[in-house]
Amino acid sequence: MGTSVQVTPLSGVFNENPLSYLVSIDGFNFLIDCGWNDHFDPSLLQPLSKVASTIDAVLLSHPDTLHLGALPYAMKQLGLSAPVFSTEPVYRLGLLTMYDQYLSRRQVSEFDLFTLDDIDSAFQSVTRLTYSQNYHLSGKGEGIVVAPHVAGHLLGGTVWKITKDGEDVIYAVDYNRRKEKHLNGTVLESFVRPAVLITDAYNALHNQPPRQQREMFQDAISKTLRAGGNVLLPVDSAGRVLELLLILEDYWAEHSLNYPIYFLTYVSSSTIDYVKSFLEWMGDSITKSFETSRDNAFLLKHVTLLINKSELDNAPDGPKLVLASMASLEAGFSHDIFVEWASDVKNLVLFTERGQFGTLARMLQADPPPKAVKVTMSRRVPLVGEELIAYEEEQTRLKKEEALKASLVKEEESKASLGPDNNLSGDPMVIDANNANASADVVEPHGGRYRDILIDGFVPPSTSVAPMFPFYENNSEWDDFGEVINPDDYIIKDEDMDQAAMHIGGDDGKLDEGSASLILDAKPSKVVSNELTVQVKCLLIFIDYEGRADGRSIKTILSHVAPLKLVLVHGSAEATEHLKQHCLKHVCPHVYTPQIEETIDVTSDLCAYKVQLSEKLMSNVLFKKLGDYEIAWVDAEVGKTENGMLSLLPISTPAPPHKSVLVGDLKMADLKPFLSSKGIQVEFAGGALRCGEYVTIRKVGPAGQKGGGSGTQQIVIEGPLCEDYYKIRAYLYSQFYLL
Amino acid sequence: MTHATKAIYKLLLTDYVKVSKVSVEDMLFDEQDINRSMDKIEVLDFHQTVEVNGIKFWCYTAGHVLGAAMFMVDIAGVRVLYTGDYSREEDRHLRAAELPQFSPDICIIESTYGVQLHQPRNIREKRFTDVIHSTISQGGRVLIPAFALGRAQELLLILDEYWSNHPEFHNIPIYYASPLAKKCMAVYQTYILSMNERIRNQFANSNPFKFKHISPLNSIDDFSDVGPSVVMASPGGLQSGLSRQLFDIWCSDKKNACVIPGYVVEGTLAKTIISEPKEVTLMNGLTAPLNMQVHYISFSAHADYAQTSTFLKELMPPNIILVHGESHEMGRLKTKLMTELADCNTKIITPKNCQSVEMYFNSEKMAKTIGRLAEKTPEVGETVSGILVKKGFTYQIMAPDDLHIFSQLSTANITQRITVPYSGAFGVIKYRLEQIYESVESSTDEESGVPTLRVHDRVTLKQDSEKHISMHWTSDPISDMVSDSVVALVLNINREVPKVVVESEAIKSEEESGKKAEKVIHALLVSLFGDVKLGDNGKVVINVDGNVAHLDKQSGDVESENEGLKERVKTAFMRIQRAVKPIPLSAP
Repeated sequence: MGTSVQVTPLSGVFNENPLSYLVSIDGFNFLIDCGWNDHFDPSLLQPLSKVASTIDAVLLSHPDTLHLGALPYAMKQLGLSAPVFSTEPVYRLGLLTMYDQYLSRRQVSEFDLFTLDDIDSAFQSVTRLTYSQNYHLSGKGEGIVVAPHVAGHLLGGTVWKITKDGEDVIYAVDYNRRKEKHLNGTVLESFVRPAVLITDAYNALHNQPPRQQREMFQDAISKTLRAGGNVLLPVDSAGRVLELLLILEDYWAEHSLNYPIYFLTYVSSSTIDYVKSFLEWMGDSITKSFETSRDNAFLLKHVTLLINKSELDNAPDGPKLVLASMASLEAGFSHDIFVEWASDVKNLVLFTERGQFGTLARMLQADPPPKAVKVTMSRRVPLVGEELIAYEEEQTRLKKEEALKASLVKEEESKASLGPDNNLSGDPMVIDANNANASADVVEPHGGRYRDILIDGFVPPSTSVAPMFPFYENNSEWDDFGEVINPDDYIIKDEDMDQAAMHIGGDDGKLDEGSASLILDAKPSKVVSNELTVQVKCLLIFIDYEGRADGRSIKTILSHVAPLKLVLVHGSAEATEHLKQHCLKHVCPHVYTPQIEETIDVTSDLCAYKVQLSEKLMSNVLFKKLGDYEIAWVDAEVGKTENGMLSLLPISTPAPPHKSVLVGDLKMADLKPFLSSKGIQVEFAGGALRCGEYVTIRKVGPAGQKGGGSGTQQIVIEGPLCEDYYKIRAYLYSQFYLL
Repeated sequence: MTHATKAIYKLLLTDYVKVSKVSVEDMLFDEQDINRSMDKIEVLDFHQTVEVNGIKFWCYTAGHVLGAAMFMVDIAGVRVLYTGDYSREEDRHLRAAELPQFSPDICIIESTYGVQLHQPRNIREKRFTDVIHSTISQGGRVLIPAFALGRAQELLLILDEYWSNHPEFHNIPIYYASPLAKKCMAVYQTYILSMNERIRNQFANSNPFKFKHISPLNSIDDFSDVGPSVVMASPGGLQSGLSRQLFDIWCSDKKNACVIPGYVVEGTLAKTIISEPKEVTLMNGLTAPLNMQVHYISFSAHADYAQTSTFLKELMPPNIILVHGESHEMGRLKTKLMTELADCNTKIITPKNCQSVEMYFNSEKMAKTIGRLAEKTPEVGETVSGILVKKGFTYQIMAPDDLHIFSQLSTANITQRITVPYSGAFGVIKYRLEQIYESVESSTDEESGVPTLRVHDRVTLKQDSEKHISMHWTSDPISDMVSDSVVALVLNINREVPKVVVESEAIKSEEESGKKAEKVIHALLVSLFGDVKLGDNGKVVINVDGNVAHLDKQSGDVESENEGLKERVKTAFMRIQRAVKPIPLSAP
């Protein structure tokens, strides 16, 4: 019998909630995607929390919040501890997206669901794979092979293929068939007849407007800019924005526009830096241009990367285009900019993806858009006066407690070793290097001061008496002119933007007074919020740049893939129902739409057993080649090998006659030129093919729908008794293999 | 090839075309050819599995140069690993060659360094930096002749790091004087993902290939030789070009040093100066004293004996093929490996150029029986009949009706309808058909009410009009044959009516037909095997090249010493019998 497969949705069915599904294959539990939405509502993760500890492996498909947002929280709070698998870009861009989310949230609220360190430690357990890499699981999952394949939509986006005993379970959500500027289309269509396909119905009812949307997009932007207005594109942190950046770059270059473009997220510069090194994950045109001219498409010429809103405020006045993070407008830079710009009729807010359900962006995309919206403006301000005093007292108390605890511990230990850890002394450059190398810590912009509070910065060396700041002994070198100095120490740092992003943590002096530093360092601060009503006077446009397959192409792909069993998830109730009905009719008879926490069994009811093909049998089999396949009819007798396997031996008695089978896929359109090449006059008449004067060939019955129906084509050839009839029949036969 | 290899390939060959000084006719290829080849090159990432005609292959990092790959090819379960140039030692930017997850059946492995051993990495790096340190401190200049790619980048990383750690050197310039290396730098700055963790972590900070202390140098004219400096220049052999120009200027000053960082080709100046001659010939033909210090520090990224033997011991391939090595060195390696792997029954082969190695693997062919055919697992002795579908190297057996479910193939039914002119009475046809066929059923068509005849449940005849009858049937060889005979019969009646048919004339006794079949079988066997005699106890004795087989014509059993002959006779007899015996029309 086949491999047992169960699917349990944990979130994201019959609605557009984040995606998270439990797929269990022969008892091995995969959590596929671990999403959250921009509201960060822990109640959404309720179903996950029940099963988190039983999960054996996590597979991530796309680097955005909806697909991996809950990973840090689940790892920290819900007891998820399984190894995680993803592609390199999903790992890296996912990490950056989470940083951006955290920093944006932290800016406007006492966000405490997870910290930057939680993000780091969650992503530490990620095993990075390349596309089409067959990863063989070991231990409990022995025999299971997982492989990521190109999904399109986002950089590194993955269609997961899980194989056991030759049976494929495919998980494909948010794929894109169309080739884009920076991505290739999905390879989903190359999988044929998998045992189970889990896919989304998100776009089932949504048909993409034709290609001219590109002009609309460009027109809308240039019109606003020419009229002196500003354009805001609320975008995600590291996903679709890449495509938009390339489109804008091209457009700017083509029309030599000189309006500034700003890309504003907390992680914009690192994002672009990483993306530059992900060329092998991108589409053919990008790799080709690099191979031939070493021209990296992501060396952006017209885009300025900003990581701080004050830099935008300091930018020269005049029309500008800003891509700011948080597509939902719920928080982050896009939120703030929207509030500032919304009341000016000249401005344009251009949405390129549908907002998540229940967010400000979704509200604004309604038709007609609301005239005014209520928003909460929150700011982080430093504590002053009494609040500050109270805070400081609290801190001192905590510190004292800690010191006491530490000293107690110390007393128990031997007094053998004193003094600072020797590793830390020595060449000061070495220390710098160490700091810089501390892997992911570096991107994560946490300051030295911030460490004390949030993560307890450095681990005191085990030999020290009490916690102390790292002490770097400066064993200076002397030469004839005095102490050898490091000129670097005296250089006034004037590094470029990228450096700034990287070094936020490194050099304390570098951080400006911007609010970002308030989040990061331990300066006591609090969040002040006030509600205000914003008059929405600016122009609101929605142009689809989601990069997902639309309803029509979803249906085409599904009928091509033709899975034996189909599970539909993620999509509004109507969309799910619509797609289900469609698939029942045209794709396969087994379509499942499970509810949250409902476990469905999609174990294939397929009977199968393995046999060995003996040499004797195979030497008598004549294969006929048909496309990728080679086929032959076998009559064999069952025997047993030494190790108890069934084996097929040549039959000893004359083979029983069998009904002959004609194998082949006849297309009338192909038959016509074939016959005419043989000198027969052919024409289509009333659905039939008239050959010569009298003979007609017709296809009857339901059109050869794969999966459904009988699957056998019915062809009728008729005509009077004549030579032509037999000639044409012979040609018709030649289109098939007779077994 | 990998992405990085493809990018470098183009740079390297274009550079070659530009610098090669042969005439246009002698050129083997030009830039056009390179560009055309670029379109043909398929790229793949490390570990990405590619399948072509059922043959799967993927690659592992080889650690030799950026983008270098070891390929594993899987043909029907037999795995072949080709290492190419590889190194098991991690360096500053490259990952060490990976150890494949599966042991290959054949390992084709390089043997460049044979049984030699490398100096440990930290020692040679220390020697390298010490030489540079002391030379610079004495106010000398350091020349490093190196090929533009591969080791050059590693050395630059070492230098850049050394400079960062030694602020006192910050005013001493380092140059790399190779236009090709400069171009390749963009590739190095991009394909960070093909490098090791160390570089990737540094990348989080800033791109390590954006050197802080090293600048490119386009030509000797841009170089102001005013004080101590370090210059890395190509070519590595000091044949000509920038490295030679600098060598000529610097070679007579004993403060200067020349570091040769790796393998140098026999017959080049670099090879000559390793033996530290007193004098050298300059490019302008004059001789000059060789006073500069010459150091040979090998940074070669090939595996040495220690790496090769550990690699093979962990992989345990049953067959090893040694390639790419000087024949004596290879011989020594073979002997040494033989003793080391003595107890594992390993075959080691060292083929010469153009000598092909043939190995035979008898892998078991496994098939999966699926669908309706597999509803019940059969017992020993039962028969299994179905369509065997082969795709790549996987086999499946299924019922014809399931074909469209498990493969993209589909089946078809062809219904044939033919009208035959006939103006006689329908009853005559019936009468004549009954004489030939066992089963002829007559009924009337439900729609039109015309009489019909059904022969053996296969072919239906219908009297359409006074002048015509129509026949229809579903195509398959037997039905086609039946219909042909019916057509012939109908046409005969047309021609010969009226005629009295003599009954039973054509019907021969069963005995007679049996004898005839016997004769035919014998004749066919003779035509196939030549020497065929009728032996005693009714068996047929077949003699082929001294091998004798006894065939029992009743049961089809064959006895023979020779397995091959036995099988052949058996199959032949089976096919002959099938051809000679009457067709069972009652087949399903």
